Amino acid sequence: MNSIDLIYMGIKNLWRRKLRTFLTVLGVVIGATSIIVMLSIGFGLTQSFEDQISQWGSLTTINVYPKWSDPSMPSTGNTQVYLNDEAVTSFKAIPHVVAVNPIIETYGTVIDGKYITNIPIRGIDPSIMEDFEFEVADGRLLDESDEMTAVFGGQVAMSFYNPKATVWREPKVDLMKDKLVITLNPNYGWSDPNQETINYKSYKIKVAGILTEDNYEYSYAVYMPMADVKKMIKEKEKAENVKPSPNKSKDDYQNITVKVDDMDNVKDVQDQIKSLGYEAYSLNDQLESMKQTARSIQLALGGIGAISLLVAAIGITNTMVMSIYERTKEIGIMKVIGASINDIKKLFLFESAMIGLFGGVIGIGLSYLLSFLINKFGANFGNFMGTGMGTKISIIPVWLVFASLAFSALIGVISGYYPARRAMNLSAIEAIRTE
Amino acid sequence: MGDEKIIALNDVNLEIYKKEIVCIIGTSGSGKSTLLNMMAGLEKPTKGEIIVNNMHLEKMNEKQLTKFRQKNVGFVFQSYNLIPTLTALENVSLVLTFRGVPKRVREKKATEMLKNVGLGKRLHHKPSEMSGGQQQRVSIARAFVGNPKIVFADEPTGNLDTKTTFEIMDLVTSMVKDLNQTLVIVTHDDEISSYANRIFHMRDGKIEKVEELPLKGDVVN
Repeated sequence: MNSIDLIYMGIKNLWRRKLRTFLTVLGVVIGATSIIVMLSIGFGLTQSFEDQISQWGSLTTINVYPKWSDPSMPSTGNTQVYLNDEAVTSFKAIPHVVAVNPIIETYGTVIDGKYITNIPIRGIDPSIMEDFEFEVADGRLLDESDEMTAVFGGQVAMSFYNPKATVWREPKVDLMKDKLVITLNPNYGWSDPNQETINYKSYKIKVAGILTEDNYEYSYAVYMPMADVKKMIKEKEKAENVKPSPNKSKDDYQNITVKVDDMDNVKDVQDQIKSLGYEAYSLNDQLESMKQTARSIQLALGGIGAISLLVAAIGITNTMVMSIYERTKEIGIMKVIGASINDIKKLFLFESAMIGLFGGVIGIGLSYLLSFLINKFGANFGNFMGTGMGTKISIIPVWLVFASLAFSALIGVISGYYPARRAMNLSAIEAIRTE
Repeated sequence: MGDEKIIALNDVNLEIYKKEIVCIIGTSGSGKSTLLNMMAGLEKPTKGEIIVNNMHLEKMNEKQLTKFRQKNVGFVFQSYNLIPTLTALENVSLVLTFRGVPKRVREKKATEMLKNVGLGKRLHHKPSEMSGGQQQRVSIARAFVGNPKIVFADEPTGNLDTKTTFEIMDLVTSMVKDLNQTLVIVTHDDEISSYANRIFHMRDGKIEKVEELPLKGDVVN
């Protein structure tokens, strides 16, 4: 028996019992839809978690800090490591590390006419800005030849204020055009008569660009070339007359951030850095636990869907068994006139697979519709869940479509296996005698 | 209860030759249908041998028996055993479907065969739209369409009136002769046995008597 005849015959048999076929298919539709929609909500949840966390900073960045050791505790045997250029070199040597950014940070004041802002000033190696996903909204990033040039975080402009004004007004500053002066005087604008005046140096700076507001981490700081910041700190210490104390940390940098090529490698690199004796944190830590939560929610939702698909599978088996009872004589006749047991088996398996497949196809269509409606009208629910606007609640990945098609057909075949075997093993001579 | 063994056939020995028309006659319960089913490879004997064209049917598995039936055997039943949802043409061509014959070829053959049995105008009728005699003609067309070597007929006229019975018997025997086939008929009707070359009389699972007849068909023609 060739496949075309098999398909034709199978479809004809299903068509003969339209209502029953329809009801059985409906069961599969409900099962497939509930699984797909439930899983899609899980995917939406994972996605919204990811979006949310990536707003806090880059997911592929690891922050390295010196290990805090309790001086009263005996050394654990690990030699103390410091955040210095040596550390930078050793991090660069770790596979999957794209760039290493040693951070030196100080605090200062930026003056724009009568407006000022008190803000962290960070020294950075201009060559790695791109790797660390600095993006300008205006102007350009720093480059190697820049001196006393700054890139401002996206929110800095809004933080300017007039120290002499009694009422806050929106600052009228244009960082790209105004002449700016920077000083490391932490109390600029506030005269404190009790304190001896220190003659802090002021520096004229050029502005290269302003960053976008996407990344909170970069939004409230001024970025300048490393050498400039080091110089300013040295001059500040000189002005304050600070003597290098023996307790002063041997760390050259406050922290070092490490950029990894892919999210999947972050944990690996992070572990390696820890094993070198540093503290290392990444947003991945939070993301992992949130993903874990999303996964368990998805599992629970998927489980509910799976139950309805199981019920549908039993429905298919039931329909096919009933069909065998009705068609016993027909099966007998087919056997007597030359149908092989394989033909009979294939015919029944094909019919049940078709029920599964039809159910799957319609189920996918229905799922897309439901997913659309959930995303359209479920925004309030999204806010309630804290996933925020803009992110979809339900996401159906393409692979899920194909997986559910294959799965529903497979469910059909599995459900049809027992009935098919029964039909196959019917005795031809007994079957032909039944009325 | 239920475990009681019924011996349907006991110590039966017979040989049927090529191109022969044989009739097995007996009352109901004599074991004649069981004997036919065994010769056709539908049932297996608990003991003994069935040899068709040097093949031992009792040693074959289900798959081999299917192949054997496909190649060698055609059936005509008392109750026609047509598939009610299929038309005459579809019922006949179904035999060829299982052999993997392409649709165009098998429909041509089936149409030809239905014309041979006089149903050229009933190709697209379903069994329920035909008389008993017509249904039996469809079943005859189905038995012959695969060009089998042996045709088995189990009470082929049991549901038909006398006039139709003779029509059907004339049709079957003439087709068998035209195609050089062997025909085995099981019946309890003496009238039918007159079409045979040899008659096996059965009673209680045994062959009681073998009767040889002059070739009636040749005389008629």
